[in-house]
Amino acid sequence: MIELQRLSIAAGGRPLVHDIDALIATGEFIAVLGPNGVGKTTLLRVLCGLATPMTGAVTVEGAKLHDLPSAERARRIAFVTSDDVMSEALTVRDVVAIGRFPHHAWWQWRSTEEDDAAVAAALDAVHMRAFSDRLLTTLSSGERQRVWIAMGLAQETPILLLDEPTSHLDVRVAHDILALLRKLAHEGRAVICVLHDLNDAAAYADRLMLLGCERMLAFNTPGAVMTPELIQSAYGIAVERIDTPTGPRVFASITPA
Amino acid sequence: MTTFRLAALAVLALLACAASLLAGGSFLDAGSVARALAHPQSGGDVATIVWQLRMPRVVIAATVGAALSVAGALMQGMLRNPLVDPYLTGVSAGAAAAIALAILAGIAAPVLPALGFIAGVSTALVVAALARRGSGLDAYRLILAGVSISAFFSALIAFAIARSTSLDAAQQILAWLAGSMAGRGWSDLGFALPYLITGIALSAVSIPALNALRIGDVRARTVGLNVERAQWIILASSALLAAASVTLAGMVGFIGLIVPHIARRFVGSDARVTLPACVFLGAALCSVADAIARSIVAPSELPIGVLLAFIGVPAFLYLYSRSPEQRA
Repeated sequence: MIELQRLSIAAGGRPLVHDIDALIATGEFIAVLGPNGVGKTTLLRVLCGLATPMTGAVTVEGAKLHDLPSAERARRIAFVTSDDVMSEALTVRDVVAIGRFPHHAWWQWRSTEEDDAAVAAALDAVHMRAFSDRLLTTLSSGERQRVWIAMGLAQETPILLLDEPTSHLDVRVAHDILALLRKLAHEGRAVICVLHDLNDAAAYADRLMLLGCERMLAFNTPGAVMTPELIQSAYGIAVERIDTPTGPRVFASITPA
Repeated sequence: MTTFRLAALAVLALLACAASLLAGGSFLDAGSVARALAHPQSGGDVATIVWQLRMPRVVIAATVGAALSVAGALMQGMLRNPLVDPYLTGVSAGAAAAIALAILAGIAAPVLPALGFIAGVSTALVVAALARRGSGLDAYRLILAGVSISAFFSALIAFAIARSTSLDAAQQILAWLAGSMAGRGWSDLGFALPYLITGIALSAVSIPALNALRIGDVRARTVGLNVERAQWIILASSALLAAASVTLAGMVGFIGLIVPHIARRFVGSDARVTLPACVFLGAALCSVADAIARSIVAPSELPIGVLLAFIGVPAFLYLYSRSPEQRA
């Protein structure tokens, strides 16, 4: 369980969102939505301990996140970033195995059977086992994205944060990944994921956190958040809502200039 | 496969060291050297040459090669920049400038290695202080500070040479700048040994961190690496190894830059095997280069730094041109 208590976040000294209160249980898939620059990525960075909050606190199973040692944090929370900078000649297996870092003592160099099993399971989960010996630099951006997700899975944490995990993926693989994340959540993890596609978020997430200018506009089920009023308030764009058997969908009412 | 390659590199290092015992002002045959090695107390010319002249040189050359290679691998791994070398921290420039000014001031030669070590480590501390951001180090600031401070000390060295009125003093300064192990013995190694052992121990501690840093600072933090602490340990290790090497052999360039590249090509980028591969390759390359340097124009010697550049650069360019990336 991860709890955000009157959390205010900032980036580069610029306040972004104030007073977020939220309680996220294991077993939930949360999508964080909002326009560019509103603070979605910064929120994830605060939630994994990469950045400190302006005010307020984050607690994980009752422990204050920012007081925990870095390795202990990484055993509780994995963060799959959207940065894609890579220069080393690393194989897919090398990268995923680095996800086991927090499970090793500083003197422990060799991987254990448990590590090998976790790496293999993570590669299977994203359908990348056959690519294990390929160099990361030879993969497409979508394949690399799946490798980074596998690294997060290999960390075997109860909480998984992902920043735009489907941004480089084709539509089929994107849906595979979202289905996987929902499955992981329903198997007992808390999955918190920044997404841009509102309809994907509504289709897969249990709850949506909608961020607007300097505040959280809503944190509720897709049915309650995907309203034309809230979407207009967050993005400044008119949408139409259609309710389908798998949840609400919205369509922007745009006439190309 | 990787273990086999590592074992092959270890054998290569031993063979290189053994071969360099044969070379020098006079070539010795392998049988005589083997007998002298087996019976150190036997006396005679060969045993004296082997145990009192060549063995210390070979051990020092191998140590310097190993230390500089590991120091280079540490800096390249920490900064994720294949163009940096262990002298980026200003260690060599600081040490060389202090030694050049000391020679100019007529300070006694036995004091110079200790003076160079202190100046080298002090310079590394200044560079680290300039590169500090928060509780960690900023890679760009480190490179900028290292290059700037090294340029400043290079100017001081040029000043010392220009102001030198004695040819002997200028030649002494040049010997330090071009790298040489002439006249070094067990006592010099004894002085450097504690720092070398500390540097190697710190590099061993850094292995898991170096592996995590391969995916970048941000991602390394997400898997729980305390990046700031890792940076300081890596920097301290590299600076100690480089400073100890400078006290033993002056400025031996090239090895710290190139050997890590060759090692990664042979065994990959996993620091658990890259660092031992650097030890073996650096030791092999430096001991062979030193043997050639002291035998090719005997009884005088070539500066080892110059020789390494002559042999090593074409060899490295050949290897690079044969790499899979280049062929693709």
